[in-house]
Amino acid sequence: MNFTGTILIVDDEAHIRKFVTLILRSIGVANVVEASNGAEALQTYQRINPDVVLLDVNMPQMDGIETLRKLKAIDPDCFAIMLTSLANRSTVEQALELGASNYIRKDTPKEEIAKALADTLSAAFDAGDETPAA
Amino acid sequence: MEESLSTAPLAMDGGKILIADDDRLNIRILAGILKREGYAVFDADTGEKALARYAEVQPNVVLLDVMMPGIDGFETCRRLKQQYADKCAPVIFITAKNDSDDVVAGLSAGGVDYLPKPFNPKEVVARIRTHLQNQRLVAEQQRLVEQLSRANSAKNRFLGMAAHDLRNPLASIRGLAEFLRDGTVGPLSADQLDLVTTIHGASQSMLDLVNELLDVATIEAGELKVVLVDADLGELIAKSVMLTNIEAAKKNTRVVLQAHDPVKVRIDPAKMKQVIDNLLSNAVKYSPPGSTVTSFITRATDSAAVTFSVRDEGPGIPADERDKLFKDFSRLSVQPTAGEKSTGLGLAICRKIVEAHRGTIDAFNLPTRGCEFRVTLPQPA
Repeated sequence: MNFTGTILIVDDEAHIRKFVTLILRSIGVANVVEASNGAEALQTYQRINPDVVLLDVNMPQMDGIETLRKLKAIDPDCFAIMLTSLANRSTVEQALELGASNYIRKDTPKEEIAKALADTLSAAFDAGDETPAA
Repeated sequence: MEESLSTAPLAMDGGKILIADDDRLNIRILAGILKREGYAVFDADTGEKALARYAEVQPNVVLLDVMMPGIDGFETCRRLKQQYADKCAPVIFITAKNDSDDVVAGLSAGGVDYLPKPFNPKEVVARIRTHLQNQRLVAEQQRLVEQLSRANSAKNRFLGMAAHDLRNPLASIRGLAEFLRDGTVGPLSADQLDLVTTIHGASQSMLDLVNELLDVATIEAGELKVVLVDADLGELIAKSVMLTNIEAAKKNTRVVLQAHDPVKVRIDPAKMKQVIDNLLSNAVKYSPPGSTVTSFITRATDSAAVTFSVRDEGPGIPADERDKLFKDFSRLSVQPTAGEKSTGLGLAICRKIVEAHRGTIDAFNLPTRGCEFRVTLPQPA
Protein backbone atom coordinates (compact mmCIF):
# COMPACT_ATOMS: atom_id res chain seq x y z
CA MET A 1 0.00 0.00 0.00
CA ASN A 2 1.14 3.45 -0.84
CA PHE A 3 -0.16 5.56 2.01
CA THR A 4 2.25 8.01 3.62
CA GLY A 5 -0.25 10.29 5.33
CA THR A 6 -1.07 10.77 9.00
CA ILE A 7 -3.89 8.96 10.77
CA LEU A 8 -5.60 10.17 13.94
CA ILE A 9 -7.10 7.40 16.06
CA VAL A 10 -9.87 8.52 18.41
CA ASP A 11 -10.99 5.96 20.98
CA ASP A 12 -11.52 6.23 24.74
CA GLU A 13 -10.01 2.77 25.27
CA ALA A 14 -6.21 2.66 25.30
CA HIS A 15 -6.06 -1.01 24.29
CA ILE A 16 -8.04 -0.30 21.14
CA ARG A 17 -5.76 2.62 20.23
CA LYS A 18 -2.73 0.41 20.76
CA PHE A 19 -4.26 -2.50 18.83
CA VAL A 20 -5.29 -0.36 15.87
CA THR A 21 -1.90 1.40 15.84
CA LEU A 22 -0.17 -1.99 15.51
CA ILE A 23 -2.55 -3.01 12.74
CA LEU A 24 -1.84 0.24 10.90
CA ARG A 25 1.87 -0.31 11.31
CA SER A 26 1.47 -3.84 9.90
CA ILE A 27 -0.01 -2.42 6.69
CA GLY A 28 2.72 0.17 6.43
CA VAL A 29 1.17 3.23 8.05
CA ALA A 30 3.86 4.90 10.16
CA ASN A 31 2.36 8.24 11.16
CA VAL A 32 -0.26 7.59 13.78
CA VAL A 33 -1.50 10.05 16.41
CA GLU A 34 -3.92 9.17 19.20
CA ALA A 35 -6.73 11.03 20.97
CA SER A 36 -8.73 9.59 23.83
CA ASN A 37 -11.91 11.66 23.56
CA GLY A 38 -13.89 13.85 21.21
CA ALA A 39 -12.65 17.20 22.54
CA GLU A 40 -9.03 16.10 22.29
CA ALA A 41 -9.72 14.82 18.77
CA LEU A 42 -11.00 18.24 17.64
CA GLN A 43 -7.96 20.03 19.09
CA THR A 44 -5.51 17.53 17.63
CA TYR A 45 -7.24 17.64 14.25
CA GLN A 46 -6.85 21.40 14.03
CA ARG A 47 -3.24 21.22 15.18
CA ILE A 48 -1.90 18.45 12.91
CA ASN A 49 -4.54 18.27 10.14
CA PRO A 50 -4.37 14.47 9.66
CA ASP A 51 -5.32 12.78 6.37
CA VAL A 52 -7.60 10.24 7.99
CA VAL A 53 -9.51 10.01 11.28
CA LEU A 54 -10.41 6.62 12.75
CA LEU A 55 -13.29 7.47 15.03
CA ASP A 56 -14.83 5.32 17.75
CA VAL A 57 -18.63 5.51 17.79
CA ASN A 58 -19.23 4.81 21.43
CA MET A 59 -17.42 7.29 23.71
CA PRO A 60 -18.49 8.97 26.94
CA GLN A 61 -19.34 12.69 26.89
CA MET A 62 -18.92 13.51 23.21
CA ASP A 63 -19.73 10.39 21.20
CA GLY A 64 -18.39 9.55 17.75
CA ILE A 65 -21.39 10.93 15.90
CA GLU A 66 -21.16 14.29 17.68
CA THR A 67 -17.38 14.39 17.16
CA LEU A 68 -17.86 13.61 13.47
CA ARG A 69 -20.41 16.42 13.14
CA LYS A 70 -17.96 18.89 14.70
CA LEU A 71 -15.03 17.62 12.61
CA LYS A 72 -17.10 18.11 9.46
CA ALA A 73 -17.94 21.63 10.60
CA ILE A 74 -14.23 22.40 10.97
CA ASP A 75 -13.26 20.64 7.73
CA PRO A 76 -16.00 19.46 5.36
CA ASP A 77 -13.42 17.32 3.50
CA CYS A 78 -12.36 15.46 6.65
CA PHE A 79 -11.90 11.76 5.78
CA ALA A 80 -13.33 9.70 8.65
CA ILE A 81 -13.66 5.95 9.14
CA MET A 82 -15.89 4.90 12.03
CA LEU A 83 -14.75 2.24 14.49
CA THR A 84 -17.69 0.18 15.74
CA SER A 85 -18.10 -2.98 17.74
CA LEU A 86 -21.20 -5.09 17.10
CA ALA A 87 -22.37 -3.28 13.99
CA ASN A 88 -25.12 -1.00 15.09
CA ARG A 89 -26.78 -0.33 11.77
CA SER A 90 -28.62 2.84 12.67
CA THR A 91 -25.54 4.49 14.17
CA VAL A 92 -23.43 3.47 11.19
CA GLU A 93 -26.04 4.81 8.78
CA GLN A 94 -26.15 8.07 10.71
CA ALA A 95 -22.36 8.37 10.48
CA LEU A 96 -22.34 7.66 6.74
CA GLU A 97 -25.05 10.28 6.23
CA LEU A 98 -22.90 12.78 8.12
CA GLY A 99 -20.11 12.08 5.64
CA ALA A 100 -18.05 9.27 7.18
CA SER A 101 -16.31 7.33 4.40
CA ASN A 102 -16.61 3.85 5.85
CA TYR A 103 -16.86 1.86 9.05
CA ILE A 104 -14.75 -0.92 10.50
CA ARG A 105 -15.69 -3.53 13.09
CA LYS A 106 -12.98 -3.55 15.72
CA ASP A 107 -14.11 -6.84 17.30
CA THR A 108 -13.14 -8.87 14.24
CA PRO A 109 -9.78 -10.68 13.77
CA LYS A 110 -6.90 -8.33 13.08
CA GLU A 111 -6.39 -9.65 9.55
CA GLU A 112 -9.90 -8.55 8.66
CA ILE A 113 -9.41 -5.13 10.22
CA ALA A 114 -6.08 -4.76 8.43
CA LYS A 115 -7.62 -5.70 5.09
CA ALA A 116 -10.59 -3.39 5.53
CA LEU A 117 -8.30 -0.48 6.45
CA ALA A 118 -5.86 -1.17 3.61
CA ASP A 119 -8.70 -1.44 1.08
CA THR A 120 -10.33 1.79 2.23
CA LEU A 121 -7.05 3.71 2.34
CA SER A 122 -5.77 2.50 -1.03
CA ALA A 123 -9.12 3.13 -2.71
CA ALA A 124 -9.09 6.70 -1.45
CA PHE A 125 -5.41 7.64 -1.49
CA ASP A 126 -3.45 5.42 -3.88
CA ALA A 127 -4.68 7.45 -6.83
CA GLY A 128 -1.37 9.30 -6.74
CA ASP A 129 -1.67 12.19 -4.32
CA GLU A 130 -2.89 12.41 -0.78
CA THR A 131 -6.27 13.97 -1.24
CA PRO A 132 -9.25 11.64 -1.21
CA ALA A 133 -10.03 10.35 -4.70
CA ALA A 134 -13.70 11.16 -4.36
CA MET B 1 -59.41 -31.19 60.54
CA GLU B 2 -61.38 -28.52 58.75
CA GLU B 3 -60.67 -26.04 61.50
CA SER B 4 -56.95 -26.60 61.20
CA LEU B 5 -56.97 -24.97 57.74
CA SER B 6 -56.07 -21.36 58.09
CA THR B 7 -58.87 -19.24 56.73
CA ALA B 8 -57.79 -16.08 58.45
CA PRO B 9 -55.70 -14.63 55.64
CA LEU B 10 -58.33 -15.62 53.10
CA ALA B 11 -61.14 -14.08 55.06
CA MET B 12 -59.23 -10.88 55.57
CA ASP B 13 -57.42 -10.70 52.31
CA GLY B 14 -59.81 -11.55 49.53
CA GLY B 15 -62.77 -13.24 51.13
CA LYS B 16 -65.41 -11.36 49.14
CA ILE B 17 -68.36 -13.45 48.05
CA LEU B 18 -71.10 -12.37 45.66
CA ILE B 19 -74.43 -14.25 45.90
CA ALA B 20 -77.02 -13.87 43.14
CA ASP B 21 -80.40 -15.42 43.86
CA ASP B 22 -83.97 -14.15 43.42
CA ASP B 23 -84.97 -16.03 46.57
CA ARG B 24 -84.19 -13.74 49.53
CA LEU B 25 -84.33 -16.70 51.89
CA ASN B 26 -81.48 -18.50 50.11
CA ILE B 27 -79.38 -15.35 50.29
CA ARG B 28 -80.12 -14.93 53.96
CA ILE B 29 -79.13 -18.54 54.78
CA LEU B 30 -75.92 -18.46 52.73
CA ALA B 31 -74.96 -15.00 53.99
CA GLY B 32 -75.47 -16.20 57.56
CA ILE B 33 -73.19 -19.21 57.07
CA LEU B 34 -70.50 -17.22 55.28
CA LYS B 35 -70.46 -14.16 57.54
CA ARG B 36 -69.87 -16.42 60.53
CA GLU B 37 -66.75 -17.63 58.73
CA GLY B 38 -65.55 -14.07 58.35
CA TYR B 39 -66.29 -13.57 54.65
CA ALA B 40 -67.62 -10.30 53.27
CA VAL B 41 -70.92 -11.04 51.51
CA PHE B 42 -72.55 -9.05 48.68
CA ASP B 43 -75.84 -9.91 46.99
CA ALA B 44 -77.96 -9.37 43.90
CA ASP B 45 -81.43 -10.64 43.00
CA THR B 46 -81.05 -10.81 39.20
CA GLY B 47 -78.30 -11.78 36.74
CA GLU B 48 -78.00 -8.22 35.42
CA LYS B 49 -77.57 -6.83 38.94
CA ALA B 50 -74.99 -9.55 39.65
CA LEU B 51 -72.91 -8.41 36.66
CA ALA B 52 -73.03 -4.79 37.87
CA ARG B 53 -72.24 -5.81 41.44
CA TYR B 54 -69.33 -7.97 40.24
CA ALA B 55 -67.75 -5.00 38.48
CA GLU B 56 -68.18 -2.93 41.62
CA VAL B 57 -66.85 -5.28 44.32
CA GLN B 58 -64.59 -7.66 42.34
CA PRO B 59 -65.51 -10.70 44.45
CA ASN B 60 -63.30 -13.75 44.94
CA VAL B 61 -66.13 -16.25 44.53
CA VAL B 62 -69.55 -15.96 42.87
CA LEU B 63 -72.56 -18.07 43.92
CA LEU B 64 -75.18 -18.11 41.14
CA ASP B 65 -78.73 -19.37 41.29
CA VAL B 66 -79.77 -21.05 38.03
CA MET B 67 -83.34 -19.76 37.70
CA MET B 68 -83.63 -16.01 37.95
CA PRO B 69 -85.84 -13.47 36.22
CA GLY B 70 -84.10 -11.82 33.25
CA ILE B 71 -80.89 -13.58 32.25
CA ASP B 72 -80.50 -16.89 34.06
CA GLY B 73 -77.47 -18.11 36.02
CA PHE B 74 -75.86 -19.88 33.04
CA GLU B 75 -76.01 -16.75 30.89
CA THR B 76 -74.72 -14.61 33.75
CA CYS B 77 -71.81 -17.00 34.12
CA ARG B 78 -71.03 -16.95 30.38
CA ARG B 79 -71.02 -13.14 30.38
CA LEU B 80 -68.71 -13.01 33.38
CA LYS B 81 -66.29 -15.45 31.70
CA GLN B 82 -66.46 -13.49 28.47
CA GLN B 83 -65.75 -10.19 30.16
CA TYR B 84 -63.12 -11.21 32.71
CA ALA B 85 -61.65 -14.33 31.01
CA ASP B 86 -58.79 -15.78 33.07
CA LYS B 87 -59.19 -13.14 35.76
CA CYS B 88 -62.81 -14.15 36.46
CA ALA B 89 -63.53 -15.37 39.99
CA PRO B 90 -64.68 -19.01 40.28
CA VAL B 91 -68.45 -19.39 39.80
CA ILE B 92 -70.39 -21.91 41.90
CA PHE B 93 -73.97 -22.73 40.92
CA ILE B 94 -76.80 -23.10 43.41
CA THR B 95 -78.85 -26.08 42.21
CA ALA B 96 -81.74 -28.12 43.39
CA LYS B 97 -80.67 -31.40 44.96
CA ASN B 98 -80.00 -34.15 42.41
CA ASP B 99 -80.68 -31.96 39.40
CA SER B 100 -77.82 -33.36 37.36
CA ASP B 101 -78.94 -31.54 34.17
CA ASP B 102 -78.40 -28.19 35.91
CA VAL B 103 -75.07 -29.37 37.28
CA VAL B 104 -73.82 -30.37 33.82
CA ALA B 105 -75.16 -27.18 32.19
CA GLY B 106 -73.54 -25.11 34.94
CA LEU B 107 -70.16 -26.74 34.54
CA SER B 108 -70.25 -26.32 30.75
CA ALA B 109 -71.20 -22.63 31.16
CA GLY B 110 -67.91 -22.16 33.00
CA GLY B 111 -68.85 -22.94 36.59
CA VAL B 112 -66.31 -24.75 38.76
CA ASP B 113 -68.70 -26.39 41.23
CA TYR B 114 -72.28 -26.50 42.53
CA LEU B 115 -74.03 -26.23 45.89
CA PRO B 116 -77.15 -28.37 46.24
CA LYS B 117 -80.17 -26.99 48.10
CA PRO B 118 -81.03 -27.37 50.92
CA PHE B 119 -77.67 -26.07 52.13
CA ASN B 120 -75.44 -28.03 54.45
CA PRO B 121 -73.42 -25.30 56.23
CA LYS B 122 -70.26 -27.43 56.54
CA GLU B 123 -70.39 -28.35 52.87
CA VAL B 124 -70.93 -24.73 51.82
CA VAL B 125 -67.96 -23.56 53.87
CA ALA B 126 -65.70 -26.42 52.74
CA ARG B 127 -66.41 -25.96 49.04
CA ILE B 128 -66.01 -22.21 49.13
CA ARG B 129 -62.81 -22.47 51.10
CA THR B 130 -61.41 -24.93 48.56
CA HIS B 131 -62.18 -22.65 45.65
CA LEU B 132 -60.81 -19.59 47.40
CA GLN B 133 -57.59 -21.43 48.08
CA ASN B 134 -57.49 -22.63 44.50
CA GLN B 135 -58.02 -19.16 43.24
CA ARG B 136 -55.33 -17.79 45.50
CA LEU B 137 -52.89 -20.42 44.25
CA VAL B 138 -53.69 -19.64 40.63
CA ALA B 139 -53.21 -15.92 41.27
CA GLU B 140 -49.95 -16.66 43.07
CA GLN B 141 -48.81 -18.83 40.18
CA GLN B 142 -49.64 -16.12 37.67
CA ARG B 143 -47.73 -13.61 39.75
CA LEU B 144 -44.70 -15.93 39.91
CA VAL B 145 -44.79 -16.65 36.18
CA GLU B 146 -44.86 -12.91 35.48
CA GLN B 147 -42.03 -12.36 37.93
CA LEU B 148 -39.99 -15.15 36.34
CA SER B 149 -40.49 -13.87 32.86
CA ARG B 150 -39.45 -10.38 34.01
CA ALA B 151 -36.39 -11.86 35.71
CA ASN B 152 -35.59 -13.85 32.60
CA SER B 153 -35.66 -10.85 30.32
CA ALA B 154 -33.57 -8.90 32.84
CA LYS B 155 -31.09 -11.78 32.74
CA ASN B 156 -30.99 -11.66 28.95
CA ARG B 157 -30.50 -7.91 28.96
CA PHE B 158 -27.70 -8.23 31.47
CA LEU B 159 -26.12 -11.13 29.61
CA GLY B 160 -26.25 -9.15 26.39
CA MET B 161 -24.76 -6.06 28.00
CA ALA B 162 -22.00 -7.95 29.76
CA ALA B 163 -21.09 -9.95 26.68
CA HIS B 164 -21.16 -6.82 24.57
CA ASP B 165 -18.85 -4.92 26.91
CA LEU B 166 -16.46 -7.87 27.19
CA ARG B 167 -16.04 -8.31 23.46
CA ASN B 168 -13.90 -5.27 22.68
CA PRO B 169 -11.25 -5.74 25.35
CA LEU B 170 -11.12 -9.47 24.61
CA ALA B 171 -10.71 -8.88 20.91
CA SER B 172 -7.88 -6.46 21.73
CA ILE B 173 -6.16 -8.91 24.07
CA ARG B 174 -6.34 -11.60 21.43
CA GLY B 175 -5.09 -9.26 18.71
CA LEU B 176 -2.28 -7.80 20.81
CA ALA B 177 -1.18 -11.31 21.79
CA GLU B 178 -1.10 -12.19 18.09
CA PHE B 179 1.17 -9.25 17.38
CA LEU B 180 3.54 -10.42 20.11
CA ARG B 181 3.37 -14.06 19.03
CA ASP B 182 4.02 -13.28 15.39
CA GLY B 183 7.13 -11.29 16.28
CA THR B 184 5.74 -8.04 14.84
CA VAL B 185 7.15 -6.09 17.76
CA GLY B 186 10.41 -7.98 18.08
CA PRO B 187 11.65 -11.54 18.61
CA LEU B 188 10.55 -13.57 21.64
CA SER B 189 12.34 -16.27 23.60
CA ALA B 190 10.82 -19.75 23.59
CA ASP B 191 9.39 -19.22 27.10
CA GLN B 192 7.92 -15.86 26.17
CA LEU B 193 6.41 -17.34 23.04
CA ASP B 194 4.85 -20.12 25.10
CA LEU B 195 3.24 -17.61 27.48
CA VAL B 196 1.95 -15.41 24.71
CA THR B 197 0.50 -18.42 22.90
CA THR B 198 -1.31 -19.36 26.10
CA ILE B 199 -2.70 -15.83 26.47
CA HIS B 200 -3.82 -15.91 22.86
CA GLY B 201 -5.52 -19.28 23.25
CA ALA B 202 -7.28 -18.29 26.46
CA SER B 203 -8.55 -15.00 25.04
CA GLN B 204 -9.74 -16.80 21.92
CA SER B 205 -11.81 -19.33 23.87
CA MET B 206 -13.20 -16.57 26.09
CA LEU B 207 -14.17 -14.60 23.01
CA ASP B 208 -15.92 -17.68 21.62
CA LEU B 209 -17.80 -18.08 24.88
CA VAL B 210 -18.79 -14.42 24.97
CA ASN B 211 -19.98 -14.62 21.37
CA GLU B 212 -22.10 -17.65 22.15
CA LEU B 213 -23.55 -15.98 25.26
CA LEU B 214 -24.41 -13.00 23.13
CA ASP B 215 -26.11 -15.29 20.61
CA VAL B 216 -28.14 -16.91 23.38
CA ALA B 217 -29.12 -13.54 24.82
CA THR B 218 -30.16 -12.30 21.39
CA ILE B 219 -32.11 -15.44 20.62
CA GLU B 220 -33.84 -15.56 24.00
CA ALA B 221 -34.81 -11.93 23.78
CA GLY B 222 -36.70 -12.98 20.65
CA GLU B 223 -34.38 -11.00 18.45
CA LEU B 224 -33.29 -13.91 16.26
CA LYS B 225 -34.51 -12.93 12.83
CA VAL B 226 -33.73 -15.01 9.80
CA VAL B 227 -33.76 -13.30 6.45
CA LEU B 228 -34.36 -15.97 3.82
CA VAL B 229 -32.64 -15.61 0.47
CA ASP B 230 -31.83 -18.03 -2.36
CA ALA B 231 -28.48 -19.65 -1.72
CA ASP B 232 -26.50 -22.71 -2.74
CA LEU B 233 -26.30 -24.89 0.35
CA GLY B 234 -23.56 -27.02 -1.23
CA GLU B 235 -21.36 -24.00 -1.80
CA LEU B 236 -21.93 -22.78 1.76
CA ILE B 237 -20.99 -26.17 3.20
CA ALA B 238 -17.98 -26.50 0.90
CA LYS B 239 -16.58 -23.21 2.26
CA SER B 240 -17.07 -24.33 5.86
CA VAL B 241 -15.51 -27.72 5.10
CA MET B 242 -12.45 -25.98 3.70
CA LEU B 243 -12.00 -23.81 6.80
CA THR B 244 -12.74 -26.65 9.23
CA ASN B 245 -10.09 -28.75 7.51
CA ILE B 246 -7.42 -26.28 8.63
CA GLU B 247 -8.25 -27.00 12.29
CA ALA B 248 -8.86 -30.69 11.58
CA ALA B 249 -5.43 -31.10 10.01
CA LYS B 250 -3.88 -30.28 13.39
CA LYS B 251 -5.22 -33.57 14.70
CA ASN B 252 -4.76 -35.46 11.48
CA THR B 253 -8.50 -35.60 10.85
CA ARG B 254 -10.13 -35.06 7.48
CA VAL B 255 -13.45 -33.44 6.64
CA VAL B 256 -15.00 -34.37 3.31
CA LEU B 257 -18.11 -33.21 1.50
CA GLN B 258 -19.63 -35.77 -0.84
CA ALA B 259 -20.19 -34.65 -4.41
CA HIS B 260 -23.58 -33.11 -5.13
CA ASP B 261 -25.40 -30.99 -7.70
CA PRO B 262 -26.00 -27.34 -6.83
CA VAL B 263 -28.56 -27.28 -4.00
CA LYS B 264 -30.64 -24.14 -4.14
CA VAL B 265 -32.35 -23.42 -0.84
CA ARG B 266 -34.13 -20.54 0.90
CA ILE B 267 -32.00 -19.82 3.99
CA ASP B 268 -30.33 -17.09 5.97
CA PRO B 269 -26.78 -17.86 4.79
CA ALA B 270 -24.92 -16.21 7.70
CA LYS B 271 -27.08 -17.94 10.33
CA MET B 272 -27.00 -21.29 8.54
CA LYS B 273 -23.23 -21.01 8.20
CA GLN B 274 -23.09 -20.80 12.00
CA VAL B 275 -24.99 -24.12 12.20
CA ILE B 276 -22.78 -25.80 9.59
CA ASP B 277 -19.56 -24.54 11.22
CA ASN B 278 -20.75 -25.76 14.57
CA LEU B 279 -21.70 -29.25 13.41
CA LEU B 280 -18.47 -29.67 11.47
CA SER B 281 -16.19 -28.42 14.23
CA ASN B 282 -18.08 -30.52 16.79
CA ALA B 283 -17.56 -33.59 14.64
CA VAL B 284 -13.85 -32.83 14.45
CA LYS B 285 -13.69 -32.14 18.20
CA TYR B 286 -15.06 -35.57 19.10
CA SER B 287 -13.29 -37.53 16.36
CA PRO B 288 -10.31 -39.74 17.10
CA PRO B 289 -7.13 -38.52 15.37
CA GLY B 290 -6.73 -40.00 11.92
CA SER B 291 -10.46 -40.38 11.31
CA THR B 292 -12.72 -38.85 8.69
CA VAL B 293 -15.76 -36.58 9.10
CA THR B 294 -18.19 -36.98 6.22
CA SER B 295 -20.84 -34.46 5.25
CA PHE B 296 -23.46 -34.86 2.56
CA ILE B 297 -26.67 -33.31 1.29
CA THR B 298 -29.80 -35.22 0.39
CA ARG B 299 -33.03 -33.97 -1.08
CA ALA B 300 -36.36 -35.61 -0.30
CA THR B 301 -37.79 -37.34 -3.39
CA ASP B 302 -40.68 -34.88 -3.46
CA SER B 303 -38.17 -32.01 -3.11
CA ALA B 304 -40.11 -30.67 -0.13
CA ALA B 305 -37.05 -30.74 2.13
CA VAL B 306 -33.29 -30.63 1.99
CA THR B 307 -31.23 -32.53 4.51
CA PHE B 308 -27.66 -31.83 5.47
CA SER B 309 -25.82 -34.52 7.46
CA VAL B 310 -22.51 -34.69 9.27
CA ARG B 311 -21.09 -38.08 10.29
CA ASP B 312 -18.13 -38.66 12.54
CA GLU B 313 -16.26 -41.72 13.74
CA GLY B 314 -16.20 -40.66 17.39
CA PRO B 315 -17.61 -42.37 20.48
CA GLY B 316 -21.23 -41.45 19.67
CA ILE B 317 -23.83 -39.98 22.03
CA PRO B 318 -24.47 -41.81 25.31
CA ALA B 319 -28.07 -43.03 25.14
CA ASP B 320 -29.09 -41.42 28.43
CA GLU B 321 -27.66 -38.03 27.44
CA ARG B 322 -29.43 -37.65 24.13
CA ASP B 323 -32.13 -35.43 25.66
CA LYS B 324 -29.53 -32.94 26.88
CA LEU B 325 -27.91 -32.51 23.51
CA PHE B 326 -29.72 -29.43 22.23
CA LYS B 327 -30.27 -27.66 25.55
CA ASP B 328 -28.46 -24.58 26.90
CA PHE B 329 -25.24 -25.22 28.83
CA SER B 330 -25.46 -28.99 28.55
CA ARG B 331 -22.15 -30.67 28.16
CA LEU B 332 -22.08 -34.41 27.70
CA SER B 333 -19.79 -36.82 29.49
CA VAL B 334 -18.01 -37.41 26.16
CA GLN B 335 -14.79 -35.41 25.97
CA PRO B 336 -13.19 -33.74 22.95
CA THR B 337 -10.26 -35.83 21.73
CA ALA B 338 -7.58 -33.13 21.73
CA GLY B 339 -8.51 -31.06 24.79
CA GLU B 340 -10.75 -28.67 22.82
CA LYS B 341 -13.12 -26.45 24.75
CA SER B 342 -16.89 -26.61 24.73
CA THR B 343 -19.32 -24.08 26.14
CA GLY B 344 -22.36 -26.32 25.91
CA LEU B 345 -24.18 -23.61 24.00
CA GLY B 346 -23.29 -24.42 20.40
CA LEU B 347 -25.94 -27.04 19.70
CA ALA B 348 -28.61 -25.08 21.59
CA ILE B 349 -27.89 -22.14 19.29
CA CYS B 350 -27.96 -24.45 16.25
CA ARG B 351 -31.35 -25.76 17.27
CA LYS B 352 -32.76 -22.26 17.68
CA ILE B 353 -31.41 -21.14 14.31
CA VAL B 354 -32.73 -24.26 12.56
CA GLU B 355 -36.12 -23.83 14.23
CA ALA B 356 -36.23 -20.22 13.09
CA HIS B 357 -35.94 -21.71 9.58
CA ARG B 358 -38.86 -24.02 10.49
CA GLY B 359 -36.49 -26.94 10.14
CA THR B 360 -35.46 -29.74 12.47
CA ILE B 361 -32.14 -30.88 13.88
CA ASP B 362 -31.55 -34.36 15.18
CA ALA B 363 -28.72 -36.66 16.15
CA PHE B 364 -28.36 -40.41 16.34
CA ASN B 365 -25.65 -43.00 16.71
CA LEU B 366 -24.51 -44.99 13.71
CA PRO B 367 -24.63 -48.81 13.81
CA THR B 368 -20.89 -49.41 13.94
CA ARG B 369 -19.39 -46.27 15.47
CA GLY B 370 -19.75 -42.51 15.48
CA CYS B 371 -22.90 -40.47 15.13
CA GLU B 372 -24.76 -38.42 12.60
CA PHE B 373 -26.20 -34.95 13.02
CA ARG B 374 -28.94 -34.15 10.58
CA VAL B 375 -30.50 -30.79 9.72
CA THR B 376 -33.66 -30.88 7.65
CA LEU B 377 -34.91 -27.69 6.05
CA PRO B 378 -38.35 -27.56 4.48
CA GLN B 379 -38.32 -26.02 1.01
CA PRO B 380 -41.35 -24.45 -0.61
CA ALA B 381 -42.21 -26.16 -3.89
